[in-house]
Amino acid sequence: MKRTRIFRTGWLVLALVAALAPVYWMLTISLKTEVDQFAIPPKWFSFTPTLQHYTDAFVTRSFGQYLLTSAIVAVVSTFFALLIGTLAAYALTRFRLPWNLDHKLSLWILSTRMFPAIVTAVPLFLMMRDLRLLNTKLALIIVYTAFNLPFVVWMMRGFFAEVPRDLEEAALVDGDSRLGALVRVVLPLVSPGLAATAVFCLIVSWNEFLFALVLTQTDAAMTLPVGIAGRVTQYEIKWGVMSAAGVVAMMPILVFALAMQRYLVRGLSLGAVKG
Amino acid sequence: MPRSRRFSSALNRRELLLPYLLVAPALVVLLALSIYPLLYSITISLQQETPAGVVWTLGHFKRLASDNFFRTAMVHTFVFAAAALTCEFLLGLGLALLLNQQIRGRGLFRASLLVPMMLPTVVVGVVWRLMLNPNFGAINGTLKQVGINTESLTWTASPRLAFLAVIAVDVWQWTPFVFLVLLAGLQAIPQEPYEAALIDGSSRWQTFRHVTLPLLKPAILIVLLLRTMDLLRVFDQIFILTEGGPGFATEMISLYIYRAAFRFFDFGYAAAMSFVLLAVTNVVSVVYIRLLQAKA
Amino acid sequence: MSIKFKNVTKSFGDSKVVDDFSLKIEDGEFVVLLGPSGCGKTTTLRMLAGLESVTSGDIYVGDERINDVPTQRRDLAMVFQSYALYPHMSIAENIAYPLRVRKVDRNEREQRVARVAKMLEIEPLLQRKPRQLSGGERQRVALARAIVREPRAYLMDEPLSNLDARLRVQMRGELKRLQHQLGTTTIYVTHDQAEAMTLASRVAVMKKGRLQQFDTPLNIYNHPANRFVAEFVGSPSMNLIDGKIEHGVFLSDSIKIPIDRSDAAVTIGLRPEHVHVSTAPLDGAIPASVYVTELMGNETFVFLLVGPHKIIARAPADFRAEVNCKVWLRLETDKAHFFPKEHSTDYTDQKQSV
Repeated sequence: MKRTRIFRTGWLVLALVAALAPVYWMLTISLKTEVDQFAIPPKWFSFTPTLQHYTDAFVTRSFGQYLLTSAIVAVVSTFFALLIGTLAAYALTRFRLPWNLDHKLSLWILSTRMFPAIVTAVPLFLMMRDLRLLNTKLALIIVYTAFNLPFVVWMMRGFFAEVPRDLEEAALVDGDSRLGALVRVVLPLVSPGLAATAVFCLIVSWNEFLFALVLTQTDAAMTLPVGIAGRVTQYEIKWGVMSAAGVVAMMPILVFALAMQRYLVRGLSLGAVKG
Repeated sequence: MPRSRRFSSALNRRELLLPYLLVAPALVVLLALSIYPLLYSITISLQQETPAGVVWTLGHFKRLASDNFFRTAMVHTFVFAAAALTCEFLLGLGLALLLNQQIRGRGLFRASLLVPMMLPTVVVGVVWRLMLNPNFGAINGTLKQVGINTESLTWTASPRLAFLAVIAVDVWQWTPFVFLVLLAGLQAIPQEPYEAALIDGSSRWQTFRHVTLPLLKPAILIVLLLRTMDLLRVFDQIFILTEGGPGFATEMISLYIYRAAFRFFDFGYAAAMSFVLLAVTNVVSVVYIRLLQAKA
Repeated sequence: MSIKFKNVTKSFGDSKVVDDFSLKIEDGEFVVLLGPSGCGKTTTLRMLAGLESVTSGDIYVGDERINDVPTQRRDLAMVFQSYALYPHMSIAENIAYPLRVRKVDRNEREQRVARVAKMLEIEPLLQRKPRQLSGGERQRVALARAIVREPRAYLMDEPLSNLDARLRVQMRGELKRLQHQLGTTTIYVTHDQAEAMTLASRVAVMKKGRLQQFDTPLNIYNHPANRFVAEFVGSPSMNLIDGKIEHGVFLSDSIKIPIDRSDAAVTIGLRPEHVHVSTAPLDGAIPASVYVTELMGNETFVFLLVGPHKIIARAPADFRAEVNCKVWLRLETDKAHFFPKEHSTDYTDQKQSV
C-alpha cells in the first residue's frame, strides 16, 4: 500500500513539474535581464527581476494596442455569439419542429464547428477583401461570432435541457408569456451555464490565431497572438519582450479558466462530457 | 406516460413562428460565414486564371495528385496525429487512473494541469521556443549542467528532432485535456459494478478490462474524436515553433495550404487542398461517430 | 366555472392518446380523472391547461371555447406533480409570481400572499428558497401559488404522488377541506383509486384514452360500468371469474353458483367483502384452500385457490388459517356483477349489475 502511494505521488509530482516548468521558464525570461536570460547553467530562481521587458513591450512597442484589440474583439464577439446562440439553443431544446428539424439543425450547426479553420480561412480572407474589411476589428468580430456560435448553441442546449419543462409550463399557466417565462424563469436558472459559456467564448476568441493572422496585418487591428507571432518569426528576436507579451496574453485566460474549472471539461468537449 | 419532453402545442400563429424567429439569426450567421465561404471555396478551387480570362477547370485537383510536397505534408500530418494521439491517450489514461481516488491536493493538481491546455497556442509556441533554444534554452542548459554534451541537440534546427519536438509540445499541451475528460468519465462510473466485480472475485486487471474500459468507452471515443480533429488541422504551435521547417521537416497540411494561399496567393490551389483536408476530417469523424453510436 | 370536453381527441403521430373524450363538469365540482399510467388522463388535463394542442374536438370553460386561447390567458391554475416551484425565487416570490405577471400592484400582492400563506400555514417559510423545504411544505407552496390568484379552476396533476404515505393521507384531507372552502371547480388527475374515492364529487375513469365511466365514487364502486372499472377501483381488487351460465347455474371449473339469469358466457365479479370464509364446512359452500393470508390489523385478507382461480376475501381481524389449509366459501351472489366475457372497455357496454 505504502509503496504504491509513493509511486503514485512520484508520478503526479513529475506530471506537475512537466506541466508547469516550461511556463515558469517563460515567466523568468520575461523578468530577467538579457545577461541572465543567456546564462549557463540556466537561472531558475536566482536572478534580479526587472520589469524592463514589460514596459518595452507595452509602452515603447505596440503590444498595448494589440492587447486592447484582443479585448475588444473577444468581448464584442462573445456578446453577439451568446445573444444569437442562446436564442437558437432555446428554440432547439424547447420546440418540436416538423420533420425532426430541430434535431437536424442542431447537428448541422455542430458540424460547422468541425470544419478545419484553414478551410474557411481562405474564402473568408477573399470575402473580407472584397468587402474592404481586411485589417479591421469588425472582420474579426464577425468571424469570431460565427466561430463561437455552434459552441454556444451546443453548450446552452445542454443547460436548457437541464431546466425542468414543468417550471416553464407552470410559468405559462401562471399567466406569463413565453418570452416572459424565458426571461424570468429559465434564464436565471441557466445563468451559471451562461457565464461558463461566455468565459469559454472569451478564451477561444482571445487565443484564436489563424483567422487573426489571415485577416489582420496592420497594428490597427492586430490581436495579441498575431503581434507576438510577428516578433517570433523575425530574425532578431527580443526574447524578453516576447515572453512579457506571452505572460500578459496568458494571465486573463488562466484566471478565467480557474474560475470556470467546474465547467471546463464540459466546455472543451462541446458539452459531450459532463465533468 | 408517453409524453413529449418538449412543448408540442402551438396555439396560434405567433407561437408557430416563434421557434423559427429564434433560430433564424443563428442560421443566417452560419450560412453567411460557414456555408457561403465553403461554396465560395468550391468555385475558386474549380477556376483558373488564364490569359484568356477565368476558366472552369479541374486543374487544381489534377495538380494535387502530382504534388509531392502536398503528399509529404499529408504524411507528416498523419504521422504527427497518430504519434501525438497515442502518447496523449496513454498518458492521459494513466494519470486519470492514478487520480481517480481521493488524494490530498487533487484540486490543486487538476488546476495546475489546466495551465498548458488553456494557454493561447501562440504562447505555447513561445514557451517551447524558449525551452528548446539550443543556446540558452532550459532543456539544453539543464542537460549541460548535468554534464551531457548537447552539441547535436539542436532541436528545431534538426529535421528529426524538430518533428519529435512538435509532437512533444502537442502532448505537453493536450494530455491534460485527455486526462480531464477521462477522469470525468471514470468518476461517472457508479461504484456498484466495482463492488460486484470484487465480490465475484475478479482480479484488478480483469476489473479494468471488463468493467472500467467498457464503461469508459464513450468518454474515450469522444476525447479521441476531438483530439483527432484538432491534430489533423494543427497549425498555430508549429507556425510559431518551426514554421514547418527546418526545410520541409515539420510541414503540416494546414501550413502548406496557408503558404499556398498567403505566400504564393494561389487561392484556387489552396482551396482545392483544403477540400482534401475537409474530406479526411469528415471521414475520420464519421468513423468515430459510428463507433460511438454502435456502443450506445 | 363549468368545464366541458366535447369529443376531444389527441393524437401523437398515429397513436391516439385521448380518443373522443366527452365530459361535462359542473361549477364547483371536484372531479378526479382516474386511470392507469398511459391512459391519457394527464394529456387531457394538459389540453385543458393549454400545454398540449387539441387534435380535434372542443374544450369549453364556462361558455368560452378555449381551444385557441393561449395558456397564459386561460386563467386556470395548475399544481404539478413535481410542484414546479421556481428554484431561484423565495417562497413569497413564488406565490406572488402569478400576480406579478398580471401586474397586480405591490401592496395588494403582499396582502394576498400573506392571506394564502396563513390559510395554508406556511407563513414562517415565506423568506426561504424551495430547496430548503420538505416535500410536504413544497406541496403547500404549490397549492398557495395556485390559490393566490383565484382562477376559474384548479388543475392538479398527481399532486400528492411525491409525498410519503402518511403525509399523503393528511394532505388529502386538507385538500378536500380547502376545495370545499374555496368552492372552485377542481380537476384532479391520479392513478390512485383511494385518492379518487376520497376526494372526488365525481370520478372519471379512463383507459387507453377513452372514458370508461363518469359517476360518483359510490356508484363507481357499487355499479362499475365494465370489467375494467370493476377491477381498477377498490382494494383489494374485485374477484373476476370467467365462466358461463347454463340453465340458471354459473359454471367455471369446480365452481357452480345458482344464478337467475339467461344463458351466456360471462365474467362474474365479486368484491372481497362479499366473499365469506369459514374454516368449518358449511352447507352449499365452495371448498377452497388457503394460498396465503395477510394480516392488516383491523381485518385479514385471505388469498384462496379454487381450482385454477385465485380469489381474495376480506375476513375479520381474528381470522386465522394455515397455508394450504382447507376452507369453505360463501358468496353473496346477490351482490355479484356480471360482465360480458370478452375484454371490452367501452362506456357504451351495457351496464350489467344485479
